[in-house]
Amino acid sequence: MTPANWNLEDHSSAAPPDFHLGAIGAEPPGQGVVEGGTIPYKADALAKRQDNFKNRWKLDPEVKCYLPGIPRAAYMPYPFEIVQSAGNIFFAYEYATANRTVNITKPREAAVDTWMGTSNGKWMGDTLVVDVTGFNGKSWFDRAGNYASDALHVTERYTLIDANTINYEATIEDPSVFTRAWKISFPLYRHREKGARLLEFKCVEYTEELLYGDLKKK
Amino acid sequence: MRQLCLFVLLVGPILAADYKPPKTAWGDPDLQGTWTSDDTRGVPMERDTKLGERRYLTEQELAAREKQVQQGQERLLNPGNNASPARAQAEALAAGTPVTNAGNGRGVDIAPAPSHWVEAARRASHATSQVIDPPDGRIPALTPEAQKRLAAKNELRRARPASWENWSAYDRCITRGVAGSILPVIYGNGLEIHQGPGQVAIVYEMVHDHRIIPISTAANPIQHADAKIKSYIGDAIGHWEGSTLVVETTNFIGGVLAVGVNGDGGPPYSDQLKLTEKFTRTAANSIDFEMTVNDPGTYVKPWTVAFPITQEPGYEIFEYACHEGNHAIPNSLSAARAEDAADAKKK
Repeated sequence: MTPANWNLEDHSSAAPPDFHLGAIGAEPPGQGVVEGGTIPYKADALAKRQDNFKNRWKLDPEVKCYLPGIPRAAYMPYPFEIVQSAGNIFFAYEYATANRTVNITKPREAAVDTWMGTSNGKWMGDTLVVDVTGFNGKSWFDRAGNYASDALHVTERYTLIDANTINYEATIEDPSVFTRAWKISFPLYRHREKGARLLEFKCVEYTEELLYGDLKKK
Repeated sequence: MRQLCLFVLLVGPILAADYKPPKTAWGDPDLQGTWTSDDTRGVPMERDTKLGERRYLTEQELAAREKQVQQGQERLLNPGNNASPARAQAEALAAGTPVTNAGNGRGVDIAPAPSHWVEAARRASHATSQVIDPPDGRIPALTPEAQKRLAAKNELRRARPASWENWSAYDRCITRGVAGSILPVIYGNGLEIHQGPGQVAIVYEMVHDHRIIPISTAANPIQHADAKIKSYIGDAIGHWEGSTLVVETTNFIGGVLAVGVNGDGGPPYSDQLKLTEKFTRTAANSIDFEMTVNDPGTYVKPWTVAFPITQEPGYEIFEYACHEGNHAIPNSLSAARAEDAADAKKK
């Protein structure tokens, strides 16, 4: 529901990367979700972000159907579903059949670096606080080239503010890329359509021509 | 070990009948945890025709399988004895017999795996085959259309690849499908079950596949999605029969995935496929899994596989970011184009 996947920061609308797509491929404008408006990059990291932005239609992991990482999975333009019991909580994302288990009963140390990280959660009052570490530093935050390194540490907070709305907050820490911790927040809305269910968006097939097309038999 | 197995054989069914699974906070049988089909490694999918309708091994046959299990465990514990992909390639090249793919599939399906990747049975299964119905333990005959699909698939897999479409959906890191995700193979046999009120989620380690299974009840009946919505993982609806979770899955994409191992063993199934799975917890660390394959477009009659999935100390699943690290497809296509170029030169 948020345009954050286009750019976490405030942004105007923009032309499509391929004119054939016309208005369908154009980037919609969006109000940012970053507290204070600007991501506090270190100087060299900001230069890398600008470079990412220039090459975004080529370098964004989403173009290749790669796993979205956290927090990006929470604001991809696809639904996700939470399966919750008294113990662990499972997040299933429609995009790329990404998923993660939030360990509650037995926190787990990140054994290896991964795209989705290792998630350990605890309840603080009515808020689910999820500590995510063990990232591989390859995912982006959005289509605008915002990124972090493998030192990324995300702390998410999920708070129901009414029966159908969760307030989502994520604190982003990565001393190798940012000058300080920063925060994003936005509401998550429950899908209330009758019979709404998570469908399958396995996008690998839609990227093979792009990734391997030059190796096809001519 | 042998005594332990005998004990299970004789007393197991009685214990299973008495076992009451724990309940979730909302009163459903609790199947949650991390499970693996490892113990069925080494059990053939189809029964040896010599065994007829006999479902279980004799004592003598069981002793042989116990020995295999022991050897499998020893291999895991002694990595020095194991093949590594790099070493196997180097040894084959040195011997002048480069590893080829002829007839055996490609990529991850045939790559020699280092020991720390591999999974093995921890106990000797008594089963003579994974297929329990028909009673002869054999997969029923294929329809003529399915035979054509199988031949076309085999031709694609055998040929020098013109594109990624020569490979299985698993090699392409798309999915192994529902059946392929639980049938035991050399590694990645793990899955997690999560439950919430009115829903069960199953997440498979390989290709990070997941399914959300809504639970249909008399008070809240759930219908399958419209037939126009098709997918590889299908549209699953669950219900409880006593303490058994029954899951019926339809709305499959036909003509791509197969029911057999890794979603590529046997003929690609049709879009008429309906899978009925049953999960019954029979002990704290064991679930009896059963799956009936009903696809009149592919098999002349339905068939059923059955095996346990177990919880093992220290067994966890990890992120299997398959597509993100798929070098097999571009490397093999690149090699195929080099072969094309060499052939053109010869002419």
